[in-house]
Amino acid sequence: MDIIIDQLPIVIKSLNIGFIQTLKLFFVTLIGAFPLGLIIAFGSMSRFLPLRYLTRFIVWIIRGTPLMLQMLIVYYFPGLVFHNNIWGSGEFGRFFAASVSFVINYACYFSEIYRGGIQGVPVGQEEAGLVLGMTKSQIFFKVTLLQMIKRIVPPISNEIITLVKDTSLARIIALQEIIWAGQAFMKGSQGISGQIWPLFFTAIYYLLFSGILTVLLSKLEKKLNYFR
Amino acid sequence: MKKFLALVLSAVMVLSLAACGGSKNSDSDMAKIKDKGKLVVGITDFAPMDFQENGEWVGFDADMAKAFAESLGVEVEFVEIDWDNKIMELDSGSIDCVWNGMTLTDEVTAAMDCSNAYCNNAQIVIVPAEGSEKYTDTDSLAGLKFAVEAGSAGEKEVSALGLDYTPVKSQADTLTEVAAGTSDAAVIDSLMAAAMVGEGTGYENLTYTVGLNSEQYGVGFRKGSDLCAALNDFFKKSYEDGSMISCAEKYGVQAALIAQ
Amino acid sequence: MAILEIENISKSFDRTKVLKDISFNVEQGQVTSIIGSSGSGKTTLLRCLNFLERPDGGIIRVNNEVLFDANDPETYKESTIRTKRLHFGLVFQSFNLFPQYTAKKNVMLAKELLAKATPEYKERKKEIHEEIEHQAEMLLIQMGLKDRMNNYPHQLSGGQCQRVAIARALALEPDILCFDEPTSALDPELTGEVLKVIKGLADKRTTMIIVTHEMAFAKEVSNQVIFMDDGYILEQGTPEQVFDNPQMERTKHFLARAHITE
Repeated sequence: MDIIIDQLPIVIKSLNIGFIQTLKLFFVTLIGAFPLGLIIAFGSMSRFLPLRYLTRFIVWIIRGTPLMLQMLIVYYFPGLVFHNNIWGSGEFGRFFAASVSFVINYACYFSEIYRGGIQGVPVGQEEAGLVLGMTKSQIFFKVTLLQMIKRIVPPISNEIITLVKDTSLARIIALQEIIWAGQAFMKGSQGISGQIWPLFFTAIYYLLFSGILTVLLSKLEKKLNYFR
Repeated sequence: MKKFLALVLSAVMVLSLAACGGSKNSDSDMAKIKDKGKLVVGITDFAPMDFQENGEWVGFDADMAKAFAESLGVEVEFVEIDWDNKIMELDSGSIDCVWNGMTLTDEVTAAMDCSNAYCNNAQIVIVPAEGSEKYTDTDSLAGLKFAVEAGSAGEKEVSALGLDYTPVKSQADTLTEVAAGTSDAAVIDSLMAAAMVGEGTGYENLTYTVGLNSEQYGVGFRKGSDLCAALNDFFKKSYEDGSMISCAEKYGVQAALIAQ
Repeated sequence: MAILEIENISKSFDRTKVLKDISFNVEQGQVTSIIGSSGSGKTTLLRCLNFLERPDGGIIRVNNEVLFDANDPETYKESTIRTKRLHFGLVFQSFNLFPQYTAKKNVMLAKELLAKATPEYKERKKEIHEEIEHQAEMLLIQMGLKDRMNNYPHQLSGGQCQRVAIARALALEPDILCFDEPTSALDPELTGEVLKVIKGLADKRTTMIIVTHEMAFAKEVSNQVIFMDDGYILEQGTPEQVFDNPQMERTKHFLARAHITE
């Protein structure tokens, strides 16, 4: 116990740095995947059949393979196959490659949720808008969008909480997120070696963060409960 | 749709073929690193070879890498990698060399062009301190359940001895296994064992016993890299002028150093 | 003079002909009821008038202006359809109120969006908004929903919802108000309040086309009754002609059965 108290400041500092990487990846993924998912959703509902089949094919590939594998391919494939490592060598390259993989992966999951949300809004809503002389975009923004959001908040919340934990997969391409930072003390880092507790300690970060998100998301859900 | 599917599948096949039969880039590695002005060194946090002090990478390997880069007139950039992926990191060009107390195994020398060996190391058996006296030679190890790092020199040793073992992800994990009682013994690098086991570590109840083999460390480069010969020359020069020895003394590995 | 003239409208889905050579006129201030069994094409006809479906053939004229001519693609360009729709209002069987808005906002929304597109909106923003709000309140009071204006659709009964939907359609002051089985989704005890409202509109000489299964109501309120069967208009005339003195066997048969189920 005494050892832990001595080591705590060093470990916390190191875990904080790792957790910032975790948070960065988390937010970049959301910021990228929310709009991209919508584009993919529209693609997968397109009346232009080649586009619809192409997007559904891509969604199938992305959802049908592990994110870990996708990251390895995204990061190493260009260098291995084309002898052109597009990501650079530094930490930013790894972060960028991880972000690209996460954004594409989560956008595909989001797109399916969006599609369910869009198709779940009764067609009568659009028709009511049309006979009232509204334009398609007015109907989307003033009528269907909020109903769609209400429908997708619960499943998207699930994905968001999953994302918090999925960020740890990025250590496969040596992105130094919080699990990596915690594990470093097992092998030895900054004079502390052979310590397992920092790894378990990371759970507190995850729990706090997902706890905050759960509260915020259920608040949002409640806010949208004013209509049915 | 069928045509489209055929097109996609053939594209995938072409890419995979390219992956298998890809020819190496014709530019020399030396020209490449001089062009970008830096040597990217793939490492892990592995005291006393590579570790961080005040936010800077130091250690026997790190200091030598800095000196080598300086001799080439380029900057050095250290990048922490996942040890499992070191060959992929090298071949994809995200790093230029692996310089991290790397044991020269057959797998390593087959996949990389390696420098001359520069350090001796042994694979050493770790057991709980209580009752450790009875392990004196390799014969006494029979019947123990081992944990070893997957793909490590240690795994090769225990499998050659016909011992029962479970491969785990890292050397640190092997110690967790023994500490938790899920395995009876672990095999790790002796240089590492000194830092990780015994008084003042998280594994006070573990101790090291039998040494399994002696092995050597080297630096790995891409196949066909001209940096390999340059490093051998550099090692030779620094060994002769004494700078390599004084660096080894600084990190307490002088006894293991191999004459160049 | 007829406010609405429909000539030879036809419509197919895939290979099934749903509307076959439909022609009739509607006079200003009169109520036309369309009756017939399910699948006879009544709803499709209403949807064609509101441009939710495009007829394969025929002409639709309102106030002598050609709104739709199947032979003239210019008349069904996406860009012009939107304004043409405003000649018609449509009340749906399933109300289709916007659930995220209050009753009042449901009535106001479309009109506000139209007002925003007008040039004087910027200067008279507040005034225009107040006018629209006042109009919505008057309509809802007229519908007997004075106390329900700020309720959301899920807080209203089916009958109340349908009355909000009628107010919403009236807010745009259409030339012709169409009803697609306005009481079919309601519990029997709630149909009365909706029918009463429609009756009130008829008394005010609102031009209406009503697709309905309420035979007694159709007979009472209509100036003209159209009986449709299998995509054709089989019989049309005054309520007395169609209900009391039907000429066709099919009409007699339908009325006899409708009477029993009532």
